[in-house]
Amino acid sequence: MSVASQQYRYTPGKALVLLLALPALLIPTMVLCYIFWQAAPVLNWGFLFGTADGVGFGVTEGIFSQLVGSLLLAIMACLIAIPFALGTALYYRTFATPWQQRLLNAMFNMLQGIPPIVFGLCGLVVLVNLFSWGVSLLSGAVVLAVVVLPLLVLNTLATLERIPNEYSEAGSALGLTKGAIILRLWLPRSWLQLLTGLLLAMARALSETAPIMFTATVFSGVVWPDSIFSPVTTLQTHIFYLAQEGNEPLLISIAWGSAAVLVLLVASFGLLARLLQKLGDN
Amino acid sequence: MMLRWWLSTSALLSSLMIVLVLGFLLQSSWPLIQQQGIAFIIGDEWYPFESLYGMLPALMGTVWAVTLALLIALPCGVAAAIFCAELLPAQLRGAMRFSMELMAGVPSVVYGLLGMWVLLPLLESQLELLTGRTLLAAGLLLALMILPTIMVLSEDAIRAVRQSQREAAKSLGIGWDATLWRVLLPQAWPGIRVATLLATGRAMGETVAVMLVVGSIDRIPDPFYNFLQPAQTLTSRIGREMAEASIGSLHWAALLFCGLLLALIAMGLSFMTPRKRIAA
Repeated sequence: MSVASQQYRYTPGKALVLLLALPALLIPTMVLCYIFWQAAPVLNWGFLFGTADGVGFGVTEGIFSQLVGSLLLAIMACLIAIPFALGTALYYRTFATPWQQRLLNAMFNMLQGIPPIVFGLCGLVVLVNLFSWGVSLLSGAVVLAVVVLPLLVLNTLATLERIPNEYSEAGSALGLTKGAIILRLWLPRSWLQLLTGLLLAMARALSETAPIMFTATVFSGVVWPDSIFSPVTTLQTHIFYLAQEGNEPLLISIAWGSAAVLVLLVASFGLLARLLQKLGDN
Repeated sequence: MMLRWWLSTSALLSSLMIVLVLGFLLQSSWPLIQQQGIAFIIGDEWYPFESLYGMLPALMGTVWAVTLALLIALPCGVAAAIFCAELLPAQLRGAMRFSMELMAGVPSVVYGLLGMWVLLPLLESQLELLTGRTLLAAGLLLALMILPTIMVLSEDAIRAVRQSQREAAKSLGIGWDATLWRVLLPQAWPGIRVATLLATGRAMGETVAVMLVVGSIDRIPDPFYNFLQPAQTLTSRIGREMAEASIGSLHWAALLFCGLLLALIAMGLSFMTPRKRIAA
């Protein structure tokens, strides 16, 4: 009997697996299709690039300022997190003793498990109130930076781990300093993977709602933030408030449109990361 | 010298982060502990206006929502992983996996929108409830959210079982079903366990989606297994009430204590998770 025919022969176990797997395979696909089906009527250039004129309850034609707010927060968060993440990962590889390595590992695995809302709470207590930064772009960006920090650190570590030891050994044998090894050997070899990690962190920062809800965003009244101490509007919170308060079909369809845009945005960062990873592997 | 300074400072700061977070939470919720002791954790009444801050309703709500989500998502997710790893032709496997990773990236607020405007009306009409905002709704939504995580990680675990093991089983004349139960699943179990723990953590910490569908009523379900009643979880309570509480009040301290509780449970979970150095 050929292998293929055996693979497709009926057994009770296969029937059970298929029965249980079917909802898991179909429902997510249906969900995605449903979002885009609901969003289709409102999705057009005017929706994407229009901004709120008045300060009404979200009855605006466009979501451009929300889009910019989301991106701005995510980019700022990554910019804040990068030096720390890179520094920590490099410390781990260069100076850390085995004991410190174990400690750092435990710390970051733990940090990754902590729910984002907890960071949002801390941001509210420390940044918004104690430092009196207020509900602002800066507070939100710092909180989001902490949320993506473990992701960036662990990703950078994974990348650095893939560099063969012979490289660094040959480097030190030639009398290169640690700085030169990092700059001339490690960075050229791994910048593509580091960029991949960064894109994934961006995607993560774009999809978080809870940590910025109290620290960075308002529902309306702001079109463009005029400084880093100004609150912003974001896609995530826009969807949230519309879902919660919206009672007209128009508002809900705006929410679906924003959701579709957000999903596309996050997915495109994910896709780009995947593409770069493929490029780096070859 | 500069280099060393930069590296050690950032390492120190970022590893201190977790201590800082816990410290601030404890410090800000201290007034409550000072005034009421620690017994309010098992108190079953949460009435901020009467200074009653029992944590039990929200704790039970969290446990219930997570349990429901796992009960639904675990069998389905693992079955889907088995299906993809063992039955699906290799050409389709990549596409399936890709769409799962895509699903894993869908922001939680989108699920919230979906829950609010699709799941709730559906539950109301199908189960003839007064309100669809129930623990069941939260559980279903969370199940949908953790499904991709469970599936992707379980598939990795199943595919990591060596091909020679499958061949050995086949050459012994063991059928597909027995191979699955006796060879594949036991060997993939450690990986599936990690997937479950990670999914538990994610489900527990999920805020916005749960907040929209759980009903936010601080009451222990009656009887305690009745998941068709509105309830409250730790995260939804923080999300709902944080904006109302005035800074420095006992209510504020109690909400921060909810956050501390969440962080501590999450840390407990990550202690139980076997260390994996490289995150996916």
